[in-house]
Amino acid sequence: MRKATRSAFVWIGVGVLLLSATCFSVCGTAPTSHDVRPGYGVSEMRWLSDYLPALEGTAGDTPIYVLRGGEPGGALLLLGGTHANEIAGVMAATLFVERATVTRGTVYVIPHANNSASRYNSGVFNATTPEWFELTTGAGELRRFRYGDRRTHPEDQEPDPDVFVHYPSGLELDGDEARNLNRNHPGIPDGTLTQQISYALFALVNEEEVDILVDMHESSLTGRLANTLVSHPRAVDIAAFAVLDLEMDGIALKQEVSSEGFFGLSHREFGDRTDAFAFLIESANPGQEASIENPDVVNDPRSPLADRVQLQLRTVEAILANHALLEGTTSGISFTLPFALTELHGGNLGMFMR
Amino acid sequence: MLGVFGAFAAAQGDDVQTGSLTFAQPVLITSIGQSAGAAQARVVAIKAGIDAAYTQRATIEELEGFATLIVVLGASSKGLGAAGVNIDGEIAWATELLDKARELGIQVIAMHIEGGARRGPSSDEIITTFAPHGDYLIVKGSMPDVQWTADESANGNADGLFTTIATENEIPIAYIDATLGAVDVLIELFGIPPTED
Repeated sequence: MRKATRSAFVWIGVGVLLLSATCFSVCGTAPTSHDVRPGYGVSEMRWLSDYLPALEGTAGDTPIYVLRGGEPGGALLLLGGTHANEIAGVMAATLFVERATVTRGTVYVIPHANNSASRYNSGVFNATTPEWFELTTGAGELRRFRYGDRRTHPEDQEPDPDVFVHYPSGLELDGDEARNLNRNHPGIPDGTLTQQISYALFALVNEEEVDILVDMHESSLTGRLANTLVSHPRAVDIAAFAVLDLEMDGIALKQEVSSEGFFGLSHREFGDRTDAFAFLIESANPGQEASIENPDVVNDPRSPLADRVQLQLRTVEAILANHALLEGTTSGISFTLPFALTELHGGNLGMFMR
Repeated sequence: MLGVFGAFAAAQGDDVQTGSLTFAQPVLITSIGQSAGAAQARVVAIKAGIDAAYTQRATIEELEGFATLIVVLGASSKGLGAAGVNIDGEIAWATELLDKARELGIQVIAMHIEGGARRGPSSDEIITTFAPHGDYLIVKGSMPDVQWTADESANGNADGLFTTIATENEIPIAYIDATLGAVDVLIELFGIPPTED
C-alpha cells in the first residue's frame, strides 16, 4: 500500500477516534477513546464490533489496528489491556501501533482489549495507584494515558453474581470475575459485555486465521508470575526456544504452561479452541504491589515502564522468530522498529512514541 | 561459564566417560515436577545435536530402547494440575520411573535449569528426593566460592543445595549460568563431534 493511502487510513482512524471521543461525552456508554497515534505502518483501522455487531456503540467496543507486511506470511493478534491496569501491555501495543512496520505477514493490534476496564480504576491491588500517568515525548509534549482496572466497569454490565460460573466449563469463581475478560474466554455472543468482548476476539482469530496470539499482562513485582511467559501446551516448544534466546540476550523469563483445569484464560482457551499458538506475557508492575504507597508506575527503578515494554516486545519478537524457525516461514511474521528495542532499557518511553 | 566438580570429572573423547560412567544415545527427556524446564531441556538437546525424545511425563513403557534418561527437576503447580496429580503422586510416579530405569541399565542425568524461580518447598522436595539418583547433575546456579554475576533469580544453587547433594552422594556436577550453557555440557558428556559451519 502506498504511503499516501496509508496516511489517509491513519487520519481516518484519528478522525474516528475524535468522533468517538465526542460521542462519549454525549452518549455516555460509547467506547472510551485513548491517545493512540497510528504510524505509517498502520494499513487499516477496524473496530472489535466488526466481528460482533452487538458490541457497536458499547463501552466494550475498541479499535483494532491492522499492520500489513510487504511479504505474505501469517497473522499475529497482539493484545494489550485485557487487564487495563497492566499498563506495559497497553503501552507495548500502543508503541507498536505508533512505530512498528510489519515486513512479513499481518499484525492485528488491540491496545485496549477490555476498553470498559480502561475507563476507571478501582484500585484493585493498590488503592493508591493513579487514574492517569504521563509521558513526555521527544518534542517535549506531555501525553496522558489512563491507568485502568482489572475488570469491566460495573456500570457497563449487569450486577455481579454471587458466584461466577465460567461458560462452558462450569468452573466456579468469585462473582466479580464475571467482569474479568481473562476468565471469560471463549465468551458468548449474547452474554454479558465481557463475554461479548471475548466472543468477538475469538471471531477475529477465526475469521482472520490468526496463527499467533500474544496477550500482554503484568503481575506485581514479587508475584509468582512476574517476568513469565505462559503458553498453551501446543506452543511450549516455541516458548522454550524464545525463553532461552531471551536469556542469552540478558532477559530472564520464567516459563509456564497453561493449567489443564483452569478455564477462561486466553492462553488456555485460544489454544484449545482455535488454531492459534497462544501466549501470555507477564512483566512486573510496581502498581500491583499492595505494599507500595503511591507507586510510580512509570519510573520506579525496580521495574520502569520502558523496561517492561521492552520485555514485552522483545518477547513478542522472540516468539515470532522461533515460530518461523519451528513452523516455517510461510506463516512467519516479522516487524521492524526505527530503533533497537534494547534502547528502551533504562530509557524514557515517551521519547520513543509519536 | 561451565564448572564441573565432584568425585568424578567429565572426560573427553568419543565415548565420553564421567569417572566410570558412560553416557550414550538415544536419550529420553522428561520432567519430574511438570515444569516447563523439560521443554527447555529438549531445546538444549536439539542445539547439542543429541538424538533425544521428549515426553513431558514419561511412562515406564516409554523407557524401553533408551540409553540415557534426562530428568528435569522442578515443580509447577500449573504443570502438576495439567497432569492431574499432586506432589505425592508425582514422587510416587517418578520413583517407579527411576527404579525401572535402573533395572533397564539406563543412566540418569538430573537437571535443574530454571534457576531460583524454580526453587521452593515442592521443587525442593523433588530435588532432594531425585537429584541423589542422578549419575550426573547439571544445575543453573552458582559454584561454591564463585561470585554469581547473572540475575539473582536465575541462581538455582544460591543455598548450595545441589553442591551438598553432589558432595554427599559423590555425583559429578556441572554448574551453568544460563540454561543454554547445558548445551556444552551435553556435547561433552555425549562426545558430540563439532559441526562444520
